[in-house]
Amino acid sequence: MSSIQRRLSFGLLGVLLVVGLIVAQGSLWLADLGLRRYLEGSLRYDTESLLAAMVRGPQGIQLDEQRLMASYQRPFSGHYFRIDFDSQSWRSRSLWDHELPAPGQTGLQKALGDGPDGQLLLVYRVDYRRFGQPIRITVARDYSPALNSLRGFQWLMLGVGGGALLLILFLQRLIVRRALLPLERTRQQIEQLEEGQRTVLDSSVPLELEPLVRQINHLLTHTEETLKRSRNALGNLGHALKTPLAVLLSLAERDELKAHPELHESLRQQLAFIEQRLGRELGRARLAGEPLPGAYFNCDEELPGLFETLAMIHNRGLQLDWQAPLGLRLPYDREDLLELLGNLLDNACKWARRRVRLSIEVDEGGYRLLVDDDGPGVNAEQREEILCRGTRLDEQVAGHGLGLGIVRDIVESWRGRLLLQDSPLGGLQVRVELPRDLSRSRRAGQ
Amino acid sequence: MRLLLVEDHVPLADELLAGLGRQGYAVDWLADGRDAAYQGATEPYDLIILDLGLPGKPGLEVLREWRAAGLATPVLILTARGSWAERIDGLKAGADDYLTKPFHPEELQLRIQALLRRAHGMANQPCLEAAGLQLDEARQCVSQRGREIDLTAAEFRLLRYFMLHPGQILSKSHLAEHLYDGESERDSNVIEVHVNHLRRKLGREVIETRRGQGYRFHGVAG
Repeated sequence: MSSIQRRLSFGLLGVLLVVGLIVAQGSLWLADLGLRRYLEGSLRYDTESLLAAMVRGPQGIQLDEQRLMASYQRPFSGHYFRIDFDSQSWRSRSLWDHELPAPGQTGLQKALGDGPDGQLLLVYRVDYRRFGQPIRITVARDYSPALNSLRGFQWLMLGVGGGALLLILFLQRLIVRRALLPLERTRQQIEQLEEGQRTVLDSSVPLELEPLVRQINHLLTHTEETLKRSRNALGNLGHALKTPLAVLLSLAERDELKAHPELHESLRQQLAFIEQRLGRELGRARLAGEPLPGAYFNCDEELPGLFETLAMIHNRGLQLDWQAPLGLRLPYDREDLLELLGNLLDNACKWARRRVRLSIEVDEGGYRLLVDDDGPGVNAEQREEILCRGTRLDEQVAGHGLGLGIVRDIVESWRGRLLLQDSPLGGLQVRVELPRDLSRSRRAGQ
Repeated sequence: MRLLLVEDHVPLADELLAGLGRQGYAVDWLADGRDAAYQGATEPYDLIILDLGLPGKPGLEVLREWRAAGLATPVLILTARGSWAERIDGLKAGADDYLTKPFHPEELQLRIQALLRRAHGMANQPCLEAAGLQLDEARQCVSQRGREIDLTAAEFRLLRYFMLHPGQILSKSHLAEHLYDGESERDSNVIEVHVNHLRRKLGREVIETRRGQGYRFHGVAG
């Protein structure tokens, strides 16, 4: 789907990972710190108890076994002490054969000390003075269980955090997709616009998209109106020039002029030249050219009218028929396509004996327009010449020349191909091949 | 045959009036769309030549009004707007033929003849034939059993009208309405004179007189 979605997912993932790690690590660190503080108090109390257990006995200073905690007696119990005074050093029985090194300074030691049986010890040292001499008491407690439970907690957090991350990403994807739905809808509509399936974009869109859609719709109507205006202006120009030309043609046929054959002939030729040139250039100027978004030609609506017109013009019992897929809409300007088909069919009607057929076919690659007649046909050598003649104004012959000229202009502006072939009906087949997606082929061509 | 020409370009209208007059048509000329919409619907024309770019009211709108009011007179559109889209619009509005400017005078003449024949159910005939007579409209003469007979302009007009309406009873006033334009003096005695001339040239039985009703064209075979 859209890259906005991917970008949002990546962004969210990054932020959540960084924040999650900081929070998880920070909370672990705080728990560790809290636990050590708590134990520090407890260890201090232990040293005080030990100090109180030191009594002056018959052999000098000794430890009152009664007042010691039982866990000092059980080996590897996790509670240890060491008392240094007067070059003597007492160790708790629980240490067994392990030496508990006396730390260099008083208070809780930052680093954990090695204990017996692979234990990690929290070591606390206090210096006292009693019986007139300095006494250094070091107590230690096994911190491994706490560390283990902290590590367990860490794994739990990792699991819960990861799960939450996945859930958040999934929900975010859903939300973003929902939020981007109007954008996707607009994108589809623009595609339909290019294919001629619609003429305007739906204007009921979210606030953020509204100006865009409005501007596109405005541009569409603007181009359409500009085209209409310029066609109208060309129509007026044509009217203004062709009406006097009709007068001149009529005057040229007067008997007074016919008395001077040379003058008459020259006048006729020049008038014919003006007429052709005018017709061709005005016809060309009218073309919309490259298909505009939103332009379309509805076969079922337009072709019957075109065929009725042809039947009216060629009123000699010709059998005219057309076939196209039901409901076909071609993404081309209506007037351009009518001009193209009108000229091709008009030519076919001029030459046909009995039948003229138009077939419109659609496939993956594009559209094919086939105009068949059962007339005399055109042999292979002349076909090229006929196609070229459309471009050379001075060689135009009424019939094939002018009509095919404008047809060529239209087909070229649509980047299509115009071919002349043998028709299955016996005469000439004019084949127009039009690529389906102009914008895509244009992009590929760049 | 009485024609209505609606064209706002005066020089072209002059040319057309002169040319059509030479071909034996009685032509009324209007330049404004509003006048045309009214007069076309009220006067009994046989054919109307209509320009599309008219002052007052666009030609296509005039045509649509006529058709909506049930006017069946054949209409030939004469216009500089020659694109296929416009031709189709013209046909949909109810035109019977479409000629684009500039055109050759003979082309217009042929289109008018073809359209009149078609309107009277005689489509696809190279020349006007009725009841054993063949009328050459270009040379304004008639052939009867291979014999060519010259006609005066007035006789030609009258015979053409009869040949386009074979077997129908045509009153003198009807004939006068269709043979003379709106500005001519209509004298039914003149028609009687021309009918007699035609009978003398083609034979008595060609045109039958129905007392109190008018004339009926039988032709030589009928």
